[in-house]
Amino acid sequence: MGRGKGRSVTTPAPTLPSPKSEAFGGGVLKGRRGRGLDRRSTFLILYLPPLIWLGLFFLIPILLMAAFSFRADTYGALFENWNLGLNQYATVVATGSYWRLLAVSSLMALVISISAVALSYPLSYFLAFHAGKRAGLYLVLLLVPFWTSYLLRVMAWKIMLGTDGVINSLLMYTGVIKEPLEALLYNRSAVILTLIYVWIPFAALPILAALQRIEWTLFEAAADLGARPYHQFMRITLPLSLPGVLAAFFMVFIPTIGEYVTPLLVGGSRGFMYGNIIQDFFTKAANWPLGSALSMIMLAATLILVFIATRLIKLEDLLQ
Amino acid sequence: MKSRWSMLFIARGLMFALVLVLSACGAAPATEVSPAEQTGSLTVLDWAGYDGQDFWVDFKNTYPKVTVNFEIGESDPDIYAKMKAGDQADIFHPYTGWLQFYVDEGLVQEIDTSKLSNWDKVPDYFKKIGQIDGKQYFVPWDWGFSSILYRTDKIPEGIDSWAALLDPKYKGHISMWDDGPSAVTVSSYIHGWDETKITPDQLSQIKQEWIDQRKLNLTYWAGEPELDQAMASGDVWLAYAWQGAYATLLSQGVPVAYANPKEKRNSWVGVYGIRKGTKNYDLALKFLDQKLATATGNNVVNEFYYGSANQDVMSGITDANLKEVFSLNDPNILQHTNFTPNVTADQRDAWTKMWAEVKAAP
Amino acid sequence: MSNRRAPFPLSLYYFSIIAFLYLPIAVLFLFSINTNTTFSFPLKGLTLDWYQKLFQADAVLRAARNSLIVASGSSFAATLLGIMVSILMMRYQFRSKTLLLGLAALPLIVPYVVLGVALLLLFSVLHVDRSLLTVGIAHTVVALPYTLLIIASRLAGFDASIEEAAMDLGADYPTTLRRVVLPLILPAIVSAWLTAFTVSFDEFALALFLAGTQPTFPVYLFSQLRFANRLPIMIALAVLLMIGTLTLVFIAERFRRRET
Repeated sequence: MGRGKGRSVTTPAPTLPSPKSEAFGGGVLKGRRGRGLDRRSTFLILYLPPLIWLGLFFLIPILLMAAFSFRADTYGALFENWNLGLNQYATVVATGSYWRLLAVSSLMALVISISAVALSYPLSYFLAFHAGKRAGLYLVLLLVPFWTSYLLRVMAWKIMLGTDGVINSLLMYTGVIKEPLEALLYNRSAVILTLIYVWIPFAALPILAALQRIEWTLFEAAADLGARPYHQFMRITLPLSLPGVLAAFFMVFIPTIGEYVTPLLVGGSRGFMYGNIIQDFFTKAANWPLGSALSMIMLAATLILVFIATRLIKLEDLLQ
Repeated sequence: MKSRWSMLFIARGLMFALVLVLSACGAAPATEVSPAEQTGSLTVLDWAGYDGQDFWVDFKNTYPKVTVNFEIGESDPDIYAKMKAGDQADIFHPYTGWLQFYVDEGLVQEIDTSKLSNWDKVPDYFKKIGQIDGKQYFVPWDWGFSSILYRTDKIPEGIDSWAALLDPKYKGHISMWDDGPSAVTVSSYIHGWDETKITPDQLSQIKQEWIDQRKLNLTYWAGEPELDQAMASGDVWLAYAWQGAYATLLSQGVPVAYANPKEKRNSWVGVYGIRKGTKNYDLALKFLDQKLATATGNNVVNEFYYGSANQDVMSGITDANLKEVFSLNDPNILQHTNFTPNVTADQRDAWTKMWAEVKAAP
Repeated sequence: MSNRRAPFPLSLYYFSIIAFLYLPIAVLFLFSINTNTTFSFPLKGLTLDWYQKLFQADAVLRAARNSLIVASGSSFAATLLGIMVSILMMRYQFRSKTLLLGLAALPLIVPYVVLGVALLLLFSVLHVDRSLLTVGIAHTVVALPYTLLIIASRLAGFDASIEEAAMDLGADYPTTLRRVVLPLILPAIVSAWLTAFTVSFDEFALALFLAGTQPTFPVYLFSQLRFANRLPIMIALAVLLMIGTLTLVFIAERFRRRET
């Protein structure tokens, strides 16, 4: 640690000694600094705002919701006459199809995330290393569709995949098929395809951020040592961009499990995901206790999945 | 590297400015200066689209100094949930089937109909719909049918029964509305059961029938444009539909017909209620009175293809398509419909749970 | 940055993906000039009517403006909080570190419907009326994991010895952060801010629950989906917004090129 480590090929994340330790020179430096806040005092300024914000606007509402899931019925005003009970959870446990749907949704989310990350990696690579001065322009080009409404874009896919949509018209016009393909829309595949489309630009951002922090002098050094481009990629670029790739993966995977809008618009009768059921109970059925119970279960399942995933990844690091 | 990002900032700032300018051009002043003394403000919890000025134009013209704010509810359960959560809207707009809950939960107060000058234009059967336990809690405003809409070129033999929605003959071309209580309603029509007295055994049977139907069903529609699109493209041949879709497709030249099933069509009515505890009771009454007036009613008919509770408006319709849509030429049409009854909270819970299980089934 | 010329396959790939991304946009554009309110090939007629009606549609324009306001505010807050938490994660040791990290990242796994209802409950208890502010608060919460991930992964490879050097030279910590650290991680900050802005502008599940009398654009759009005759107008606006942005970006690029 400390100075003199600037030019090494690998830069592991630094673990700084605590502000109080001697290595940091706590006491000695204080004298030299004179007025102004040192790191310790700055701590509170950095710590309190996020803590209060998250506590008030995230933790407490979730706890309220968890409490709601133990409410036995839906009669009466929201906060009055609560009968407590586990029957909401009992209902969920007893309905096997909910569990199956949760598993299917998670699997779909997995496929979508892996695909989106794999497809967007070359995009970020291009932006980071080959776009040069125009990188900002190209990046914004990538993002501009996102300032168009997500709903409208999904509706556009619906129009494209339909039996008289763009794709079928084109295929029939060029004579590839005689009858329109009905299997393009109103099923699970349509949901997967559409969601991959939606997530690609989003996945590119963290990967790009990770790629940009790789010092290009590393490549020069490697080239000087005789490494070919392929090796440079496998040994330098890919490993160093891995945090970004993982970030992208989770950024896509987790929200996708709870997705409900795309299944609603292009999934037809078979493409439902777990999120649709939750959404239905909150908006169509006005059954907030049951919806809350379903949500809690989904939260637990996601936490478990993430936990397993992070353990698996640590394992790979050790193997290498 | 820095210039790249500052370019982004500039682009962003300019876009921000562009939209501000656009919206400034578009924004009209809230009220006009006009000699009417009434001031104050009202908040209305309504469905999207009804916040448009056309749908309260009479009130706007008569009381130009009153500010009307709108909160948008997505659906009946959404509106109900918001009211339960303590929404402070003065007026809200539920539909038949969802009215009992407001009375049971003490969320709505009685309407003093003597103060409604347009009240006599509302036919008795509509007035009754807004009554719970003999008291007038709601003012009926818009209404329509639910029946089966079908493509006459794909189904030349026509449709005469609700059972067509579950008929394997039409596999892959059926579209049902994404709504559990309606599914129960359709099943009860087909089997001749009393909707208000469905037993658990009957409910299980209904559930299994709709699970089987899912294999025949192409997609569940949630909003009318979705349905219009699917029928216009020919993907869907028959669907559970309101007459709005019928009118839209007719006007676009799509060959469709609106069935008169032997079990009778369903009819629904939209009503307005005044929240209990509102401080603007009198102003709210004035609002509701003006909602029943002619210009407003005409706009509902012409723009949304929904019926108006104002009888004069309905008799004044001349457009041939619209007459067809509302079956105005059939004096006995109301004998051919079943109005949606009110259901209890338990029933609603059971039916929505049933529907969720249908959708989650493998 | 590297001056290597891009291998042809990579450039081809990039621009193919861009084309793929814009394909639905093109479809939407066609929809906005279609005479019918339903869309099927062959198109029955072309018209600019919808664009004309757009400028009379106050509500649509206001909704777009509301979205901009909410997105600007929440992205700023989310980026600021993201910077704070990233620094805490990477530069400090303290006992509640895992708790804070968990709290910040957890919004990612809570479905928006759930969070929306939860916040609705909170605001009911606190007797706070729903408004653009409540939407903005929700958006900040859900954008924070993204800003945190982006900024923290940048900070992770950042050599802290530069900070020590600055402080040895007499700067206090806030100044070090402000004048040394932040400028160096500026691209990540901008990337995070862009992400937060995008998340907010397009988000509607939360906005649906938490908007009061002023809807954001996606909320307005979603609720208008019920009525076929409104849809082309909304699409017209979406297309205009996009053309506007693209134009601005190209103009800005022209100016930038003239400078260099």
